[in-house]
Amino acid sequence: MTEPRSDEPRTGGNKDVRLVGVSKRFPVSKKETLLAVDRIDLHVSSNEFLAIIGPSGCGKSTILRMVASLEEPTSGTVMVSGRPPHELALAHRLGVAFQDHALLPWLSSWENVALPYRLAGRKPDADHVAALLTLVGMEGFAGSRPKQLSGGMRQRVAIARALALGPEVLLLDEPFGSVDAVTRRRLNLELQRIWSELAITTLLVTHSVEEAIFLADRIVVLTERPGRIKLVRDVPFARPRAREVLTTDAFHALADELTLALDPEGSSPELDG
Amino acid sequence: MAEPGEARGRRVALGLIGIAILLVAWEVLGRAGALGVSWPPFSAVVREGFADRGLMWDSLVATTIAAVKGFLIGTSIAYALAVTGLLLPVLRPGIGRLATVVNSVPWLALGPLLVMLVAPDLTPVVIAAMAVFFASFISISSGLQSASEAHEDVFTVFGASRFARLRRLQLPSAVPSLIDGAKLGAPAALLGAIFGEWFGASSGLGLLIISSTQLFLPERLWAAAGLAALMAMVAYGALGAIQYRVEKRFR
Repeated sequence: MTEPRSDEPRTGGNKDVRLVGVSKRFPVSKKETLLAVDRIDLHVSSNEFLAIIGPSGCGKSTILRMVASLEEPTSGTVMVSGRPPHELALAHRLGVAFQDHALLPWLSSWENVALPYRLAGRKPDADHVAALLTLVGMEGFAGSRPKQLSGGMRQRVAIARALALGPEVLLLDEPFGSVDAVTRRRLNLELQRIWSELAITTLLVTHSVEEAIFLADRIVVLTERPGRIKLVRDVPFARPRAREVLTTDAFHALADELTLALDPEGSSPELDG
Repeated sequence: MAEPGEARGRRVALGLIGIAILLVAWEVLGRAGALGVSWPPFSAVVREGFADRGLMWDSLVATTIAAVKGFLIGTSIAYALAVTGLLLPVLRPGIGRLATVVNSVPWLALGPLLVMLVAPDLTPVVIAAMAVFFASFISISSGLQSASEAHEDVFTVFGASRFARLRRLQLPSAVPSLIDGAKLGAPAALLGAIFGEWFGASSGLGLLIISSTQLFLPERLWAAAGLAALMAMVAYGALGAIQYRVEKRFR
């Protein structure tokens, strides 16, 4: 079952991400540098869910890390909500979840979700922390430590932590990359539900074409290193998306097109975004 | 495959059998006089220890207090310097060199100097502190930098201040290393305290050992040395138990 993408405008202010002519070089020796990302122009609109896919090593995580204030671009500018990313980070306005959940092993789920409050020097809002745990389906595990949880449960807690302070932008770097395929599908459904409730500007980096189509409003395909934008596609499925979307012809057609674009020896569709 | 409980029981039993064989060999060699009069039988050492139990207890308490004080002082200084090195990276190389210098100073040369610089009864505390310091410093320094890159990244994205990062991530991450250092440091502190007591302390196992040597009382000497070894093993074992719990929580 396919339906046209909803054109209902999302509410919210200028919570966007803008990359203009962004390149990133890494030193590999005293004399040599490696160009990881090359002249990326990208705009993630307020409340949009954008996924970046690309071959391994194409620089998609580097792009996310620049938006997250973890890397500085070698040239070009990155702005989040009209401000440099490190300003947003210092203002505690960014949320992030990586493939490595990076929960603190000595803290309970509740304390891990409350961590951003502590780092912002604020007293945790117990009701909000409990609500976030409920939102990610972890209400019965508030007192559990990460070691007592499965991989999927840890990622749920990590996502709740990312949402704790109501960030302006949510950054997800392969958040479900280390869980099995069945759990991953289930978590994608959960993430879609959570995102639909919060409608937060989201940048997802993933290897999975299926995940990107299921979750995103728009998908950017990068070339092999150095990563350049090869293809941009809108996802034409209305929300909320049911699991059945994955079995439609339109889904498969889009998946085939994106997979082909990912293959460097495949055809190169024209750049349209 | 044996159950973990059974395996543990077998390991303990084998350990006890090993100790029993050692004590029997000690007794036999002592009774035969195979290693001379300075190797008394185990039973004579135990008898001497019981006969002098008041003196033994007082000596043990004095040495333990000096060792604990030295342990706390040495660990605290190590902690303070390791944290300073973390917060002020420019000072890190200097602090590292200072720690190496302190570790390189031979106690034997330092003992007489300390007797002149501090009271004789403080010399065991100072040497115990020095004995603990280096292992603690190295353990804590590496522990403070043991947080994973992903944890560090999350703290950066969440806008953690340097102090918040230290308090919420780096110090808790260093706890297992702190216990590792303490496990090595506790027997070293005891050894340092005993050594320090050779330089004019008014009581302690070190004094008992040196006076027993000078008065040629081999039974008392062995009893004091055995008590010191037992104390070191108890400290090591207690910290091993703490380490087990800490590892479970912090890693």
